[in-house]
This record gives sequence, C-alpha cells and structure tokens, in this order.
Amino acid sequence: MNRYRYDGTVEGLFSAIDHILRHETDPQSVELKPQQQTLFDEGVYIVTNAERADILVRRFSTAYPENASQVMYCVLSEKEGLETSLLRYIHMVSLYGSRIEAYLTHPAVHDVHFLARKVAREAHRLKGLLRFAMLEDGSYLARMEPDFNIIQPLSRFFTQRLRTQEWFIYDVKRSLVSHWDGKKLDFGTLESFHSPELADEEPEVQRLWRAFFRHIAIPERKNAALQRSFMPIKYWKYLVEKE
Amino acid sequence: MDTLEKLKILSGSARYDASCASSGSSRSGGEGTLGNASTGGICHSWSDDGRCISLLKVLLSNDCRYDCAYCVNRKSNPVARTSFTVKELVALTVKFYRRNYIEGLFLSSAVMQSPDYTMDRMVSIVRKLREEERFFGYIHMKVIPGCSEELVREAGLYADRLSVNIELPSGDSLKLLAPQKRKEQILQPMAFLGDTISANRFERKKNRKAPRFSPAGQSTQMIIGASPESDYRILSLSQGLYKKMNLKRVYYSAYVPVNRDTRLPVLARPPLRREHRLYQADWLLRNYGFNADEILSEEHPFLDEHLDPKAAWALHHPEFFPVDVNRADYAALLRVPGIGVTSAKRIVSARKFAAITPEGLKKIGVVMKRAKYFITCSGRPIECLFDRPALIRQKLLVAGTLPAPQSLKQRQISLFQ
Repeated sequence: MNRYRYDGTVEGLFSAIDHILRHETDPQSVELKPQQQTLFDEGVYIVTNAERADILVRRFSTAYPENASQVMYCVLSEKEGLETSLLRYIHMVSLYGSRIEAYLTHPAVHDVHFLARKVAREAHRLKGLLRFAMLEDGSYLARMEPDFNIIQPLSRFFTQRLRTQEWFIYDVKRSLVSHWDGKKLDFGTLESFHSPELADEEPEVQRLWRAFFRHIAIPERKNAALQRSFMPIKYWKYLVEKE
Repeated sequence: MDTLEKLKILSGSARYDASCASSGSSRSGGEGTLGNASTGGICHSWSDDGRCISLLKVLLSNDCRYDCAYCVNRKSNPVARTSFTVKELVALTVKFYRRNYIEGLFLSSAVMQSPDYTMDRMVSIVRKLREEERFFGYIHMKVIPGCSEELVREAGLYADRLSVNIELPSGDSLKLLAPQKRKEQILQPMAFLGDTISANRFERKKNRKAPRFSPAGQSTQMIIGASPESDYRILSLSQGLYKKMNLKRVYYSAYVPVNRDTRLPVLARPPLRREHRLYQADWLLRNYGFNADEILSEEHPFLDEHLDPKAAWALHHPEFFPVDVNRADYAALLRVPGIGVTSAKRIVSARKFAAITPEGLKKIGVVMKRAKYFITCSGRPIECLFDRPALIRQKLLVAGTLPAPQSLKQRQISLFQ
C-alpha cells in the first residue's frame, strides 16, 4: 500500500487527492494523512499546488454538485483521519457518478455521508439557535461557538433571511467573523474583541422574549431532559432565554 | 396594560395549541423584504416542557364570549382579559424576527364580539405584516369557526398554513363540553379550506403566477382524554380527515386540567403516554401505508401502552414475517419494526450495489434490537423466533429496548413535519 502525506491544509488535501487520482493506478488502495513531525513517519510527501487543488474542486463541483457539497461539509468538520475516505469517495464518484452516494454500506461512502450529515445538522441547528442583538449603531451581532466550522454556509443563509439589516456573525472559538452590509458578505479574522454597546431598545426586547419563553411552557408537562436533548447545554451560553 | 404584561397573558393562554410547525412552505422575496420560509422548517428554541418553539405563538385576545369547559379562557373564568393592538403585535413580530428568535407568527384568538369581528382583526395583522412590513417569514393562522368565507379567503392569501381546531373527537363531546360550538360549524370551514387549497394547487399548475392560498395546507387539533372516545374512534376520525379533507397534520393534545368542572374527568396527570402512542399510530397512517382498521378494531379499541403500534401490529401478524431485506419491496420493509422511512429508502438504494448484511443494516441506521426478530438477510435469519411472538414481545419489553416515549414523539415532530 502506498502512503501519501500532505501539509494538513485544505488546499494541500485537494492537491494531494488530485495528484493521487492522476498518478496512482489504484487510488482505492492508498492511504492519505497529514505529515507528522516524527522521525519515523514514512510516506510520500506531496507538495501543495494551489492551482491543481482549485482545478479539482471546480471540476468536481461542476460535474457532481451534490457530492461536492458532501465533501465540503466534511472539510468544514475540521476532523482529522478522514482524508483516505474523502480520496476514495471522490475517486468512486468520478468513476461511477453521483448515484454512488446511495452505497451506504461502503465504508468510504458511509464515513463521508454521515460526517457531512453531522456538520449539516449543526449548521441547521444554528439557523434556529443563533441570536442577534441590536447594537448602538443599529447593526446586529450574533456570537457562537459551534463544534464545526460552519460560519460560511450559515452566513450565506442569513444574507437571504436578514437581508435588510447590517449584521455580524462572530465565531468566538475560531476568531472568525462575517459581515453583511445589506449588499455584500465578507469574511475575516478578529484579533481582539470588545463587547460593543447595545442599542437602547435591546434590553426591553430581550425581556419580552424571556417572558414569552417562560409562559409558553405548560408547567404540568415540564420535561428538562427532553429540552436538553434537543438543545444541548453547550449552545445555551449565547441564548437570550437561557441567560 | 403594557406589552410585557399582555405578552405574558396571551402567550400563556396560547400554549395549549400543540402545533408549532414552520414547514411545508417556501417563500422568499427580493430586495427590501424581510425574511424567508424554508420547506423543512426551523426550530428556534425548546421550552421547559421540551416542546419546540418555532413561531411566536400568541392569542390576539383572550376575551372570550364562549364558555367551553376545558378552556382556560372560558367566559366564566376570573382571569385578566386583554388584547394586542394591531400595531403592537406587528412590531413585536418584526423585532423578534430580526433577532432570529422566531421563524414567524402563530396567530390564534378567543372569540371576541363575534367570529367575523375577531377574524377581521386577525386578518388586519397579517395583512399589515405582509404588505407594509414586507414580511416573508412563516405565518400560521387559526380560522375562527363561524366567520365569513370572504375573510378565510383573504387569510389564506397571507398565511402559510390555516387551521381550524376540531377540539374534541366527537359531536356529542362537543355538545357536552363546548355547548356554544357545533360540529357542523367546525367541519364547514375545514371542508372549505380543503377544497380551496386543492383548487389553488391545480390552478397554480396551470398558471404559476396565480396567488397562493395557504401553501402549507391545513391542520387541526383535538384534546385527548377529556372525553370518553376510544383510540380506534380517534384514529378513524384522523384517517377520515386526512383522506377526505386533505389535512397535513392532526395534532393530539393530552388534556391538561385547567378548570374545575363536573363535566370533566379527574386526572392525576395529563395522559402523555396515550398522546405519544396516538402520534405514533398517526405516523403509521400518514407515512407507513397503514389503515386505522389494521391498527385497532372494535374488539381492541385502545393502543398498547407498553409497545409501539407498529411492533404491536407485527406481533399480531406473524404470517407477514420474516421479511428479507434484500428482496422485499419498500412497502413491506416499512412494516418491519425498527425500519423507518429513511432506512427503508436507504436499504432499497444501497442493495443495488451489494447485498446487505446485518452489519450493513446497522451502518444504514436500522434499529437492530427491534428489527432482528422480523428480518432475514438473503435468506439468513438473525434470531429464529418468527413463530414465537409472545417471546419476542417479552424481549422487546425488556428495559432499554424501547426509547422513552416522550422523546421519540418530539423528535419525530421536529424532524418530519
């Protein structure tokens, strides 16, 4: 079995996959991993080639848009150890077409499918659980600490939903921020963060929401375990109703 | 009274409405519009009773002229009465929506002076939201039985979903517990909605620019356990509503005693388990190709509290099993306990590539601890107990094999509606 290594970046991953697909006779039988800083890590190191990575991603997304979005969700998971499965998955899709997605009993398809689902589920969850607060200048700010790096798909969703207001989404864990000014979406990183002043009406609106949250529950049906299973405590930190 | 006090009262009295779905409609505007609705629906929070919060669920008013025995807002109850102004509720909805607290508005109301008066006020709220605020979020609206068809027609142009509460499972119970409401008065707007919705679907097939009428369909709700009807009767009623009136959903709401009244039963706790089993059986009607007469009968009119209705059906029909996962068609797979809609679909597509093994079934997401008694994989059984349903029943009942009833029901609601 051939062992390949890459630099651990997303570009590196895709250029390695591109290299293997073009040069390996049997891509299903190789192993792909990030380069380890140890003496005994044996494997062929593939130098990152941004251009090749870009070509692969573009071709694959055009030909198999649905499979490409599965791959992208896996990349956003930032999980290590999935490279080999991704390589095999992309290879199988390019051989047999997008219908291979249904071959869920195959280990590579299974890994990609279920990890993508997990990431997509968190993105979907935060579409509901994200809370914006109005700032002094009339723009809105939402903070979050998701398990996966989902700020991009999430922000795109809100450009449609809250298109008439200026907003920021801030991933506290990764120091990433997205900004929508009503026309354009930008992404950036944040060096330091100072909590901005809230708009005058904000505390009152939050009080209203907390009152609604309290009164909409039926006391005779109280069920804290069920509530937690849908809304894990890790998300409570930024929920107005759970402050 | 300020908005905060009103909100406390009018959400507190709206909480007995079970529906919080925000699905079934896709809506999006262009430049300058606020919000959109996505087909799958989105939950924004979960309240302390574990129910999903997706919509701002409030009454326009709790000032009711009716005196229904089971209702917290009945005329004879000494509670504070109040109503939102149109402007107030529109502003509140927009403020909550801009902060992503909600997916939209669920608007119901007590019957004020008259059904027409009430419905007219409700329509002016959603009209203002859609036309002045250019709001494209989700709107679920109750139809007040007895109001004019003109108002229902207008409501349907603004709302994503309309619903009329059937309240109780029979006309007799309605007469006893809600003497001012009549069965015909409730069924008439439901039939009207059913007809108008399907006529509108047809029209929009011909002309895509035709205005939409209640695109997410209609639903209804009934109270379980306040009156003596059997599960069989209830399920048959639901089946009729799905088939004849084209309903999207029937909601069951376990009776929570809020009033003292000699006409009502005395319960220690709301019948939550019964409600849960009814939801499971309802699922079998809508998504699994079951018939109410297969699940229950005059001789066995109540669902088994200890076993989910699909497992109960399977144990009564040993002749149907084993089902071979590599050969059986989709409809037969759906009848296996432990195989749901998703896993049945996955099995059908995955087995085109390679025969499925027990290991593969687990990977696909089949609940093997239930399915293993009912299936074979390419002729090979996993457990050889097909002719011993009593033993299977015992094994299924062993602690831990069945999920906690509450959680299963709620999970299904949030995922599929």
